[in-house]
Amino acid sequence: MRKGVLEFCILSIIKRGEVYPSDIIDEMKKANLHILEGTLYPLLTRLKNSELLTYRWVESSSGPPRKYFSLTDKGAEFYGDLQSTWDELANAVHAITQNGQSTSSNNFNQ
Amino acid sequence: MKKVININFQGRVIPIEETAFETLKQYIESLRRYFANEEGKDEIINDIENRIAELFTEQLKKGDSCVTDAHVEGIIASMGRPEDFGEVEMEPTQSQKQYSQEQTYTTYTSASEAPRGALHRNDNDKILGGVCSGLAHYLRVDPTIVRILFALITLGGFGAGVLLYIILWIILPAASLTTNLKKRLFRNPEGKIIGGVCSGIAAYFNIGVWIPRLIFSLPLVLGMVTGIFHNVFNHDFDPFPNILFSGFGGTLFIAYIILWIVIPEAVTASDKLEMRGEKVDLESIKASVQGELQGVRGRAEKMGEDFKVKAQAWGEEFKNTAQAKAQSLAADAGPAARRVGSGIGHAIGVLFKAFFLFVAGIVVFALLIALMAIIFSGAAVFPLKNFLLEGFWQNFFAWGALCLFLGVPVIAGITWLVRRISGAKSSNKYLGYAFGSLWLIGLVCFILLIGSIRRSFDTRARIKDDITVVQPPTGKLTVKVADSKVKYYGGWFRGGGILTIDEDSLILNNVRLRIIKSDDSLYHSYSIRYSYGNNPAIAERNAGRIVYQIHQSDSTIYLDRGFTVSEDTRFRNQRVVVTIAVPVGKRILIDRSVDRRLSWDEINVGPRDYYYEDDDNENSSWWQSDVEYIMTPGGLERVDKDRENSNNDEDRQRVQEENQQKNEKKYKYKKDSLETKPEKKDSVKPVKTVAREEEQKNENEESENSKSGKASTSFLSPFQQLLAIGN
Repeated sequence: MRKGVLEFCILSIIKRGEVYPSDIIDEMKKANLHILEGTLYPLLTRLKNSELLTYRWVESSSGPPRKYFSLTDKGAEFYGDLQSTWDELANAVHAITQNGQSTSSNNFNQ
Repeated sequence: MKKVININFQGRVIPIEETAFETLKQYIESLRRYFANEEGKDEIINDIENRIAELFTEQLKKGDSCVTDAHVEGIIASMGRPEDFGEVEMEPTQSQKQYSQEQTYTTYTSASEAPRGALHRNDNDKILGGVCSGLAHYLRVDPTIVRILFALITLGGFGAGVLLYIILWIILPAASLTTNLKKRLFRNPEGKIIGGVCSGIAAYFNIGVWIPRLIFSLPLVLGMVTGIFHNVFNHDFDPFPNILFSGFGGTLFIAYIILWIVIPEAVTASDKLEMRGEKVDLESIKASVQGELQGVRGRAEKMGEDFKVKAQAWGEEFKNTAQAKAQSLAADAGPAARRVGSGIGHAIGVLFKAFFLFVAGIVVFALLIALMAIIFSGAAVFPLKNFLLEGFWQNFFAWGALCLFLGVPVIAGITWLVRRISGAKSSNKYLGYAFGSLWLIGLVCFILLIGSIRRSFDTRARIKDDITVVQPPTGKLTVKVADSKVKYYGGWFRGGGILTIDEDSLILNNVRLRIIKSDDSLYHSYSIRYSYGNNPAIAERNAGRIVYQIHQSDSTIYLDRGFTVSEDTRFRNQRVVVTIAVPVGKRILIDRSVDRRLSWDEINVGPRDYYYEDDDNENSSWWQSDVEYIMTPGGLERVDKDRENSNNDEDRQRVQEENQQKNEKKYKYKKDSLETKPEKKDSVKPVKTVAREEEQKNENEESENSKSGKASTSFLSPFQQLLAIGN
């Protein structure tokens, strides 16, 4: 899980609607992307501090009030940029790997 | 059975096991440290605590009565320890700081494989300027090793290390570097005796803690053992053996202090994990998490080259946010800053601690050595015991005092040392009680012994014997100490008025010579024998058993070398005072042998002092050996007194001569005690040792006589000179 990719994934989950951090974990786990909660919180704080995210407190029946995160306008904009960058990259990688099938499969197995 | 405590956690009251609470506290502390440089760290921690509180509440709702160790461990595993998300998390921070193409690359490789980058001073981990730490980061070794090397260079190279350090401090730019090591050397506060150095070393090399401890304390133990043997065989007591300062031991001692200063203490949980490399129970979690990450990373690294450029642009965007500024602020507020301040303070603190410990160690060690010395000198005094102790009880008390009063502390000390080294933590209080009560018994024995011996010195008796003196025709009396047939040697008891000890007799030379003014025109002499005892009868009996002979030949009085105390008489501080009364106008010369062979030491064991109660004591005059005196109505006067003023040159010459003689005599005296070697090479070597000794003795005497003769001629020489002038 390298930088950028993780943020990209998280932002795309949050983009779908208000979300609670442990839901993000669950969702990523479903997609077979295991991250630690301890990694997630600082990331969210960082994104929030760069005004890409915002949150609101929601009373919870099971414990202390929860923070629900949602995307800001700036965040949405940034997400758009990220999306296009990713698409470019994915296309580039796809193009390369499709051209040199045999070598790339070896690399993947490493 | 575990203690459950209630904690207020994020506004909730949570019942939690005490051990679980400790774990949790350490975990949150490690997070706090980890995010110290992060903007909004409080918020992050708060979020995490919130989540943990929620999980706790869920757990409690399920019906558990309290939060257990297992719960906390599980939660920590799912949240991840700082070590686990280190690779993912810290890298954005780094990339925000490092802009160059090359350095950005570090973002995409794992920390342990990271290229070294440029040489920096490390802001994150420093004692002074972070030079060592930066160097270590560059070389990818433990900062501690670099620090030790620097310390050694400084110590060995007369400050070259300091200069080098300052230069590097000035030259190198500062940077916040994250550790690129899995395992680091820490001091272990959990298993410490002094500074936790040994314990930390043991954890680092994964060996038993007793191994480094034994190595560090070996010179101490060895020194102690050799010290004992030294004491026993050489009778040479050295209260401060060179153990701590010399050779191997000193090096280790200094090494320990350096290590103490240089090695950081493992404070947080993550420190402790680093100290041991990795914890076993985390292994599985790590393996599973990392195993999955590995696949993703593998792919990510492949696309790295291409992706890098774009990610860089992404990073630029981040950089422009407030975070860049916050970074510098955080550096001030974070524990990095705290470390800067505490680094020097820590070093000074350790030096102080080491100093006090050193002093305390010296004191304890000296006490121990002194105790040993007393015990072993006690063994050496052993033959004396028969002359001192009387009856069963005194012997009993003496043994009790020796074994318990002196032996117990030594054994207790050794036991304590062994237990500390072996790390036995169990406080066996019975052991302490046993030692304590045994020692008390010993103390009682000692007191009783002292009391009992003191009672033996309770009363004093004196016997006065008159000695007839044949009046010397020349008007001058010489006093000498006769030669004895046997020569005594052995430095131990010489000083105390005790000449030597046999199996069944003790020879004392506790004899004093007094010179007083005679009432008439004749020389008189008498001797007084003193002794102590339990009661007057015994004291008188003891005094009566002293046999001290004085005989005269021509104008010379010979005193005995000493007197014998037999074993059944015992040592009761017997002594003899010989008094010679010199009439006015007559002369007396006291030979140096009197000074040398009779002891002047006074052992005042008795309740009263000896001499001052003697009624005629005030008349006695102070004298010097080898000086001729004349008795005047006012007391003794030197014969050569007048000449001192009139003939200064001559006098000076004579004094010089005398000094020279003195030196020579001292030298001879020393040689006397070395009994086997013949004194001069050209002297005849007789077959029998005793005979040889005697001959030597005579030779010495002769030379002495000739010297005293010379001395007398030297102050007669002015007359001769006058005669010569007259001629």
